[in-house]
Amino acid sequence: MPPNPPPATSLSRRRLLGAGMTAGAGAMLVACGGPAGEIEAPKGEPERGGRLRVGLTGGGASDTLDAHLPVNTTDIARCINLYETLLYYNDDYVLTPLLATKVTSSPNAKVWTAHLRRDVVFHDGRPMTGKDVAATFARITDPKDPKSGAAGLTDLDKVVVAGEHKVEFHLKSPNAAFDDSLGQYANGIVPADYDPKHPVGTGPFKVKSFTAGQQSVFARHDHYWRQGQPYLDELVILDFSDDDAIVNALLSSQVDAIGQIPLALTQVIGSDPRVNVLTSPTGSWMPFTMRIDKKPFDDKRVRQAFRLAVDRKQMIEQVYSGHGRIGNDMYAPFDPAYSKDLPQRRQDIRQAKKLLADAGHPNGLDVELVTAPIQSGAVEAAQVFAQQAKKAGIRVNIRRVDSTTFFGDNYLKWTFAQDFWYTRNFLPQVNSGTAQDAPFNETHWKNAKFTKLVAEATKTINEGQRNRLIEQAQKILYDEGGYIIWGFSDQADAYQKYVAGLKPNRTGLSLSGFQFRRVWLGGSNS
Amino acid sequence: MTRLIVRRLAISVIILIIVSILVFLATLLLPGDPARAILGQQATPERLHALREQMHLNDPIWQRYLSWFGGLFVGNFGTSTATGSSVGALLGPRIVNSLVLMVVAAVISVPVGIAAGTYGAIRRGRAGDHAATGVSLVLAALPEFVIGIGLIALLSTSVMHLLPSVTMNPPGEHVWDHPTQLILPIVTLVLVVTPYIIRMMRATMIEVLDSGFVEMARLKGVPERQAILKHAVPHALGPVAQVIAIQLAWLVGGIVVVEFLFRYPGVGAALVNAVDNRDVQVVQTLSMLIAAVYVVVNLLADIVGIVTNPKLRTEVAK
Repeated sequence: MPPNPPPATSLSRRRLLGAGMTAGAGAMLVACGGPAGEIEAPKGEPERGGRLRVGLTGGGASDTLDAHLPVNTTDIARCINLYETLLYYNDDYVLTPLLATKVTSSPNAKVWTAHLRRDVVFHDGRPMTGKDVAATFARITDPKDPKSGAAGLTDLDKVVVAGEHKVEFHLKSPNAAFDDSLGQYANGIVPADYDPKHPVGTGPFKVKSFTAGQQSVFARHDHYWRQGQPYLDELVILDFSDDDAIVNALLSSQVDAIGQIPLALTQVIGSDPRVNVLTSPTGSWMPFTMRIDKKPFDDKRVRQAFRLAVDRKQMIEQVYSGHGRIGNDMYAPFDPAYSKDLPQRRQDIRQAKKLLADAGHPNGLDVELVTAPIQSGAVEAAQVFAQQAKKAGIRVNIRRVDSTTFFGDNYLKWTFAQDFWYTRNFLPQVNSGTAQDAPFNETHWKNAKFTKLVAEATKTINEGQRNRLIEQAQKILYDEGGYIIWGFSDQADAYQKYVAGLKPNRTGLSLSGFQFRRVWLGGSNS
Repeated sequence: MTRLIVRRLAISVIILIIVSILVFLATLLLPGDPARAILGQQATPERLHALREQMHLNDPIWQRYLSWFGGLFVGNFGTSTATGSSVGALLGPRIVNSLVLMVVAAVISVPVGIAAGTYGAIRRGRAGDHAATGVSLVLAALPEFVIGIGLIALLSTSVMHLLPSVTMNPPGEHVWDHPTQLILPIVTLVLVVTPYIIRMMRATMIEVLDSGFVEMARLKGVPERQAILKHAVPHALGPVAQVIAIQLAWLVGGIVVVEFLFRYPGVGAALVNAVDNRDVQVVQTLSMLIAAVYVVVNLLADIVGIVTNPKLRTEVAK
């Protein structure tokens, strides 16, 4: 079957802008008679010094430096460079020690012990101790003012300081995946007397100046515990409100690196000989969410039919410009327990029609799909889906709202909509979005057997046993769940070739997971 | 004449009052309320209630309108919900930044437009006129973001790397401390505004040049240069003032797109951001500001029209 043409929408502003850029790049090639002398990327030992200017979109007037309240991309970038967590997810999305040398669990998974590094000092020169760690988690879980990470720490009963460099986390109920929370960027360790007005952490950089919605200037933390790092003297994070402005800023050399470029522009931007594009496979997903408690999705045959109506390969091609991998209606592809053996779901119009007929919709059905530009490609995905579903007799009426409305009063209440999630492992993802009482249960998922399996898995320390339980839980989602998970996107960033030290990173966060401690500038630019 | 001007003035005031009511009602229609927007996902019913009380969201609508409208007169524009500081403090520097763009663009495009239009009218039908007409027609048809993107591709990112494509002045410094950053946004605005002025000036001049009194002046032996500058141009300025006024007023609204494109820290960018954040106070203040500039500029154009139009002058003389 030939691929469908993209849905015929009116020429949107963004499309026109994209076309303008393409034309511009074409003009450049004509003007130069082919790419100018290839610029070599720096090699060898990292060089010290220099100033890295990073452009990011997504911030605004409500930007913050608070270690525990990061909301948007620029907040996260600041957070990761100012503060550090006990553990962190490395480039391969494996939980790795950071401020803790190791974190161990008691046999019943109710007490977790973190052994802290002894060589860590805060920006103001004081050493980090167990007291600071305890105070940090007290601040995050303050019942009067819970912070972003509190939702993942509901199991936490108390934090006991067991020594200068040893801390115990006592849980209310066993949780074999508790260490995941210790690796979340919103749970950075701060001093016991932390005040967000004087943001002090242990990160590779410290605050020099900060203007919400405009720019943040960070200086090197001279007593950083990792030998030699960071290499940069200064890190500048600039807020942009528009994809076009940010790409232009890179191409006119006003910034050195930009996060998250539209996937459709990777080729155009990469064709500039001065620029490198960094592509990372991620576990980020943009599902369609069907409420399983609302008509027509309360019938699992309808949900299955919708899943069979999707041409996943075409979605990846058209929405992500081919930069992604197809999904199988299950999340957490980097979790060791991810079920790779379940048959890959493909478009099957006949079966979809049959399921719809069985469910009492022999003539197809009409649904409203609520979409918003919540993430690059979201609206396009809705449009492509509407086209594909038509063949199965599903008439999709797209209702486009702005992001603020989407995440407003009706968020988590839409009958059929979309959402966006970064890379996560299975159990943390369930706790965020699929557990019965999860804070973001968009599909209103409720399944006794699933809940039991998850509870079982949460208690199970033995990894092999736990993974088998997770696989069973995943099978239920695969068969009956309310998500259409059609793919996982790549993440593309762009930077000037003299910027070194950026590597592909699976977390879904831009520019190597924002780990600018590893970045250095080559040649005359340092 | 005075009576006409006073009447125009009164109409302007009524228009502004109507606009203020419309703006107020429109912001009420924005989905999501400010209290919820501030508290976000951590909104508990108690905190929502307390904040609504604090922001007077529970007062009757007419009372909220009056206290807002009254505030405008004493310079109290309310509190920005996104930043928590006063709207005046937030917008002050941005208004200055936008004014810099607009004033420079106006100072360039008005004389250039008048001169080029006059030139076209005098050299009517010749190659130079044809070229100018053609170019201005094309430019007039292009939206500002197309012109802006074209300029960026040409001068900044793709063909040549001469000028910065976005404004990046560090907070605390003035936009004019980095003059090269101002060039592209200003050129964009000039290219958008000037063609209309050229076309209107050319058409009006052609009409004036063909009229009896210019013919008479020529026949009396007034040198051509003087006939044009002293007799024709002043008569053409009245109608052209209207077009210039509309263009200047457009600058106030059209600057939103240009600022967005060039990451320029002016009122346009602030407006886009405020709508995103449901920062109602900022949206209201900026809408009123833009409306006020529209009204004032049009008022001035009317006055220029009244002063330069002999018919209206004689009517008053009666």
